[in-house]
Amino acid sequence: MSLTRRVFVISAAAASVLPAVKAFATVDDATQAVGKILGNQKAKAGRVTLEIPPLVENGNLVTMKVAVESPMTQADYVRAIHIVAEGNPLPNVVSFYLSHRAGLAAITTRIRLGDSQRVRAIAQMSDGSFWQGDAATLVTLAACTEV
Amino acid sequence: MPTTAKKGEILEIRIIVQHDMESGFRHTETGQRVPRDIIRDFLCVYNGVEVFRVELHPAMGANPLIIFSTVATESGTLEFKWSGDNGYASSTSSKLTVT
Repeated sequence: MSLTRRVFVISAAAASVLPAVKAFATVDDATQAVGKILGNQKAKAGRVTLEIPPLVENGNLVTMKVAVESPMTQADYVRAIHIVAEGNPLPNVVSFYLSHRAGLAAITTRIRLGDSQRVRAIAQMSDGSFWQGDAATLVTLAACTEV
Repeated sequence: MPTTAKKGEILEIRIIVQHDMESGFRHTETGQRVPRDIIRDFLCVYNGVEVFRVELHPAMGANPLIIFSTVATESGTLEFKWSGDNGYASSTSSKLTVT
């Protein structure tokens, strides 16, 4: 009787040590994701403005606006804007692909944030250069936690 | 989006689609993972030319809303197409008169 109970307690303790599903990515995952976007280039700070409310009540629907300074002509336009979250289980959030036909490199959308974190926006220009901006926010209720 | 515009005008387009965007990170009450089921791509085609494209990941919110812009170049049709997991595909279009 006591032997089986001891076995049960030990196996229960072992089971509780099993790794749970990774809740949040680390900043390293986000850095890797950004690395894939940049290739072997570096992103210069500037030209990209990312707006997220500094305090978010509910991480399930966070309004985000990204804008890139660019003449958006055929000779000089924003080719892509990538949004990367440092504190979500998956770092990539969304990628926008534009051309000179956009007129303005400004996009608004709603994203999910799992934790208080820094969100980064990387823009690739038509000449191949990369520019970046970021915004930090505090999230009260993480996304995707309700049943 | 507006239905008429002057040539060269920058139009703001706001589009939303009803979709749960199941992220794949939620669990049921019994602890089972709810599998991912999201929209993965959005495309805006203006008279047959792609003018805007989006790749969505699970971190995009439910009922995705995207506000973007495009230049009114000529009269015609703008098509908006969504596609994603489990063969999801949905599209809508809007006519534009450019003067």
